[in-house]
Amino acid sequence: MIQFEHVVKKYGDATVLDDISFTIEPGQFAVLIGPSGCGKTTTLKTINRLIEPDDGTVRIDGDDISEVNRVQLRRRIGYVIQQIGLFPNMTVAQNITVVPKLLKYSKEDCDKIVHDMLEMVDMPYDQYAHKYPSEMSGGQQQRIGVLRALAASPPIVLMDEPFGALDPMTRSALQDEILHLQKKLKKTIVFVTHDMEEALNLADVIIFMENGKITQMAPPEEMLKNPANESVKNFLGKHIAVDDPSTLTAADFLRTNVVTVDSKKSLRTCTAQMMRSNVDSLIVTDENDKYIGTVSVEDIKSVSGDDLRVADVLKNDRETFRVDDDAKRCFDKLLSTKDNYVIVLKHDDTVAGIITKTSIAKALAERLWG
Amino acid sequence: MSVSIILEHLLMVVAAVFCSILVGLPLGIASYFFTRVRRIILFVADVLQTVPSLALLGIIMIFVGAGKTTVIIGITLYSLLPIVRNTYLGLSEVDPGVKEAARGMGMSRFYRLMHVELPLAFPIIFTGIRIATVNAIGTVVFAASVGGGGLGAIIYKGIRVMNMKWIAFGTLSLMAMAIVFDIAMGGIETRLNRKFSGPSN
Ligand SMILES: Nc1ncnc2c1ncn2[C@@H]1O[C@H](COP(=O)(O)OP(=O)(O)OP(=O)(O)O)[C@@H](O)[C@H]1O
Ligand SMILES: [Mg+2]
Repeated sequence: MIQFEHVVKKYGDATVLDDISFTIEPGQFAVLIGPSGCGKTTTLKTINRLIEPDDGTVRIDGDDISEVNRVQLRRRIGYVIQQIGLFPNMTVAQNITVVPKLLKYSKEDCDKIVHDMLEMVDMPYDQYAHKYPSEMSGGQQQRIGVLRALAASPPIVLMDEPFGALDPMTRSALQDEILHLQKKLKKTIVFVTHDMEEALNLADVIIFMENGKITQMAPPEEMLKNPANESVKNFLGKHIAVDDPSTLTAADFLRTNVVTVDSKKSLRTCTAQMMRSNVDSLIVTDENDKYIGTVSVEDIKSVSGDDLRVADVLKNDRETFRVDDDAKRCFDKLLSTKDNYVIVLKHDDTVAGIITKTSIAKALAERLWG
Repeated sequence: MSVSIILEHLLMVVAAVFCSILVGLPLGIASYFFTRVRRIILFVADVLQTVPSLALLGIIMIFVGAGKTTVIIGITLYSLLPIVRNTYLGLSEVDPGVKEAARGMGMSRFYRLMHVELPLAFPIIFTGIRIATVNAIGTVVFAASVGGGGLGAIIYKGIRVMNMKWIAFGTLSLMAMAIVFDIAMGGIETRLNRKFSGPSN
């Protein structure tokens, strides 16, 4: 268990950690996230005393860590960083056994650890144990970086954007692996990232920081459902929509470039307009651009007379929607009528746009794949 | 005129560079550890090298007397700068990520120095040693002026009696020695550099 009690860290006038308190339970996967410079790294390094707070207490399993020898403390806490930081002068096996050796494990134990560790990530011992870091890819190096942190079975592992420098494929492979390891080894993990997708993937609990303060600490589902403020919402971005469809509104699926026609125009102009835009019905507005109805090719065909205006044939029997209406209602309507679009109005009754099957597909694709 | 003179010369070079490493390495490490003494150490090493080598040997001779000891002390002081400076540089240029990992893993200060920082700084330190050695081969010529012998003595003698053979022997031996050391140590250097910097770094 990791407890922060009113922790403060200042650099000169700048308060980098501003009275931070939180608790991470044993076995939890906690992800620290927030804008750049908000204090994530500082928080993390406070746990292994690479940084000493100016005020407040950090406890591990109840013990104030400022009273523990810091070198001893660090040997019991795994540490993985974005720069990987493998020792270039040591082989993979030597890198993995750095902490076990510091803890004076026997040579046989160290050997066994190397075998077990490499096996866990499917890197054959014979092929990799005696390689130097420079002979491996970035992804392989960081796998070793993770193994090195786990080698002496520390109950706590700190990770500072460990996959931040890797390509997306490698990154998601390593995310899967770390989740798998976590399930198997039941470590308490504190993981820094500024990628919300990564956070949602991995976290049991997300700690959102801003300006040295904690804005929200909650499990992913809870954060998606009730983001504490705008910036949490922004960080969650597209994930809110995908994971919680009840928050979607008509506005999220709009096609906004729609063809309208003024009700005072002649039917001839209206027909020309339809042909130009290649549609068989138009939305009709009054002189203030407010919605008053629709006009279709059939409506025009069914009457005759040269001086007829759009106002004479328009229909006003359609159900319209508002921009903030539940998107699902619009969908249901679209699917249950023969019309191939539904009309969405702004609050001043002007036309916001229409929703078609195509616009829905487009908006969904946008949300899913960015 | 014989191999023994070359060996005598070589011995003074090796002894001086050895002493210089013995003194320079700790001074370089101290410069890296302690910001406050860094300026002083680097300044003194710098100043020592600006003193003309002949004058430096003369001054030391006054205190120690003529002979090889004077030469070795003088060249040791003279070789200090490249070794101290490169030790300091090498240590400070070790990848910060590696240093942070070492600290975060719970290595003590001394352990980090011995197992991580010095091994990684070694290629650059070795460059300093090579520069010091090649310089020393030339500078030890002045040994002749303070009674230290070596190849310098043969060249001086040749100049005095206008014997072209002696001058040529001394000079060519010196040049050959400098080139051999430069190339051999340079070769080791590239190999050291290659060892730690593979494709992905
Ligand atoms: N040694 C230092 N001296 C002065 N200011 C510092 C120091 N280290 C960090 N800071 C400042 O403290 C703040 C928090 O830094 P920190 O590294 O914790 O941010 P972060 O959330 O990890 O950011 P990033 O996402 O960019 O890694 C930043 O504004 C940074 O400029
Ligand atoms: Mg950071």
